[in-house]
Amino acid sequence: MSGVFQPENESQISDFIKKSAKSNNPIEVVGYNTKAIGRYIQCSQTLDLNRIKGIIEYMPEELYIKVRANTSMLEVMEVLKSKKQMLGFEPVDYGYLYYGKSSYGSVGGAIGCNLSGSRRFKAGALRDHLLGFRAVNGSGEIIKSGGTVVKNVTGYDLSKLVAGSYGTLSVLSEVVLKVLPEPDYSETFVIYNLDSSQAITAFSKVMKTSLEISGACYFPKNNINFFRLNDLDNSNSVLALRVEGPKKSVIERITNLQSIFKEMKKTSILELYQSKLFWKIASNLECFSNSPNIVAKISLAPSDANSFIKQFCDDTIIGINNKYFMDWAGGLIWMEIDNSDPSYLILEKIKKFCTQNNAHMTVVKSNMTYRSTGSFLTSTSDDIKSLTSRIKKSFDPKSILNPGKMYAGI
Amino acid sequence: MSLQMPQADELVLNNKENIVLNLKKISNNVLFENEEITPYETDGLTAYKQKPIAVVLPETTEEVSKVLKYCFENNIKVVPRGAGTGLSGGALPLQDCVLVGLGKFNKILETDFENRCVVAQPGVTNLAITNAVQHEGFYYAPDPSSQIACSIGGNIAENSGGVHSLKYGTTTNNVLGVEMVLMDGTIIRIGGKNLDSEGYDLLGLITGSEGLLGVITEVTVKILKKPQAVRAVLIGFDTIEDSGNCVADIISKGIVPAGMEIMDRPLIKATDDYAKAGYPKDVESLLIVELDGTESEVDILIEKVLEISKSNKASYHRASTSDEERLRFWKGRKAAFPALGVISPDYICMDGSIPRNKLADVLSEIYKMSKKYGLGVANCFHAGDGNLHPLIMYDSNNPKELKKAEEFGADILKYCVKVGGVLTGEHGVGIEKRDLMCEMFNDNDIQQQLRLKKAFDDKNLLNPGKVYPILHRCAEEGRVHIHKGKTKFPDLPRF
Repeated sequence: MSGVFQPENESQISDFIKKSAKSNNPIEVVGYNTKAIGRYIQCSQTLDLNRIKGIIEYMPEELYIKVRANTSMLEVMEVLKSKKQMLGFEPVDYGYLYYGKSSYGSVGGAIGCNLSGSRRFKAGALRDHLLGFRAVNGSGEIIKSGGTVVKNVTGYDLSKLVAGSYGTLSVLSEVVLKVLPEPDYSETFVIYNLDSSQAITAFSKVMKTSLEISGACYFPKNNINFFRLNDLDNSNSVLALRVEGPKKSVIERITNLQSIFKEMKKTSILELYQSKLFWKIASNLECFSNSPNIVAKISLAPSDANSFIKQFCDDTIIGINNKYFMDWAGGLIWMEIDNSDPSYLILEKIKKFCTQNNAHMTVVKSNMTYRSTGSFLTSTSDDIKSLTSRIKKSFDPKSILNPGKMYAGI
Repeated sequence: MSLQMPQADELVLNNKENIVLNLKKISNNVLFENEEITPYETDGLTAYKQKPIAVVLPETTEEVSKVLKYCFENNIKVVPRGAGTGLSGGALPLQDCVLVGLGKFNKILETDFENRCVVAQPGVTNLAITNAVQHEGFYYAPDPSSQIACSIGGNIAENSGGVHSLKYGTTTNNVLGVEMVLMDGTIIRIGGKNLDSEGYDLLGLITGSEGLLGVITEVTVKILKKPQAVRAVLIGFDTIEDSGNCVADIISKGIVPAGMEIMDRPLIKATDDYAKAGYPKDVESLLIVELDGTESEVDILIEKVLEISKSNKASYHRASTSDEERLRFWKGRKAAFPALGVISPDYICMDGSIPRNKLADVLSEIYKMSKKYGLGVANCFHAGDGNLHPLIMYDSNNPKELKKAEEFGADILKYCVKVGGVLTGEHGVGIEKRDLMCEMFNDNDIQQQLRLKKAFDDKNLLNPGKVYPILHRCAEEGRVHIHKGKTKFPDLPRF
């Protein structure tokens, strides 16, 4: 068997995987194929889920939507919007990063990579919003876990495990996502001209208040000019704090922010429309649009962000121009790394930092050489690696689903 | 014990003295005398009792690791235990097991406000975490009703909820990291102070795994800043349907309350008689809605909720004007267990989750079952997250009634699954609902979960006989039994 197979339903997926398992034929699983994340793998067969799409059931008052796994994320977002609801984790549009234009990809693809946007530190990651699923494991068996209710402790929570598994455990066929009401109103408070360490102090200050900030990001001076908004000065660094809720409460909280940061020299407010646009541009990584370089994200304790930036992003210290920005109130750093060093020395140094500081790096965009030979995740301990390998086997005993996509040999 | 448990290993039973001797070489805290181990023979599911061969109370992660490694090498089963307050029998010992109690892991290791987290040992109580950070205005969000006694390690094992889980999530949404020991003694660390970790989400998998995959020895949890204002509204209805519609309407209008609770008429009467909460007595259904946020936000939301309740034919409503009044609204609801103990010698507490819009349907079915079985029932419902707790009243002096109550309970859970719900929302499967798992899962599903268990514990030595049916038997047995109000922890608020 070789070539591309496009199943029309779950039972065809199951039959295909059963046959492949029998003949030990590895399968690359693809959805919209919009995200070139993960190690580059070559399989004789491609399982293209293009036809496994469509909304199965949307229950606004039950706060969930059930869809076939390869339904377009944009379609889901639009349907929810029609009922003034949304996905709380704020889906990220990686299209800009890879192609320079919008392309949200599929729901299943976002789940496979556990992609969450700027609201993640308040509302949880994508994995927190996956209530249940149906899938086909590596033996071709149809399995299910979870349900449509938010409170459920019946059996292991496999939803968490499949989110972020890059299609290496099972092929999702149906998923249930928790939905939330859209906030009535939102505004963004902006502080200008802070350096990275002042920005982290500001994040810490605001996170110790009860103002319920739902977005907190920082763009340094060398990575800001792609923002073109009337009320945003893009000539110096920007720290942005989003406030959402009933209009009256938003305005009060913005006033509170003004008073907390009254000593700041320059601030401004982005009202509803510009605020929404700002967070879309920020979350969708438009600052790295069509980047020819390596792009990585580093999830770390906010208190370690400053030392990370000083070591790896500050051009005055290390003499290279690594563009970066902080999201999640300092808990996430996105950075672009110069592609010209063939030994990827800096990536190795970052990995070392991560190991020492219990942080995690994921290379989100890279070139074919790196994808084929490098590791896109921080190296993990041998014990966890061996556990990972056993978990993979428990779902996919012959290792035919996206083999090697996450780690070489697993 | 009538419940079928894994067959006891004769070799282990016959080798007890030697095992105790070897455990004493590892730990200074090994209990084996009958009276010493009696407190560990059961947990919050008191209907079942079993003494282990020994109880070890380790004090360090290395000690836990050595105990587990020794048991692994000698094929001895291990049952982990936190505070022992669980309601589904997850910490029930086996005849041939070593029980590992984490009670001595009772220290808060770090309060880190810069990173908004607390690092604690697993035996620390849920409430102690909030107590450690409240001077800075922070708290730990999941609040199971037993929070004064239940341990944070146990909360992770059970993925405990609380009344605020619609807005703030359950334990799984609030844990950042754990250190844990696998059955072969391997110590691993998962997550930390960062939000997302690479690789398979082991943290999400461990949470709610009921002590089957590893023994947790350290936890890192997220803390939140307390909201500026919290207020509650009491709303009465002439029919259950109206209260259910009101809940759906509140959510459709874009409001996510911090808590939403419904009580039916039998429970309103019982709790008000007991706790003098001042509930209206002429309503069929009483809804408590709690809203939090900034002062002005809460005021706006209270207005909106009152408006919605009027359009859903509410016959009574009152909004709290002080924190004392808000706490009084909750007083009756929180006293549901002792209140029922007054009117019925025994009762079983069930724990299913259902889609919110099926509430009226499910309650009317429960009332029909109540007539059929000739047993009284009272219901409370975490309406925000669809978690239903029917309380079935019976008299254990009449052996026929116990059997009837158990059948009644199983029928309720089956009906929950039939309408699209699940067997357990927050109490866990344990041994209590183990044999109902086939109502929700087929053989493929169960086998997948059992294979996953083997990836962590290939000899099946850690907490065996829990969660998954033995030999896939799908019988109906076991619930939370309370005799004459004598629960294991009678003073502890429940659900």
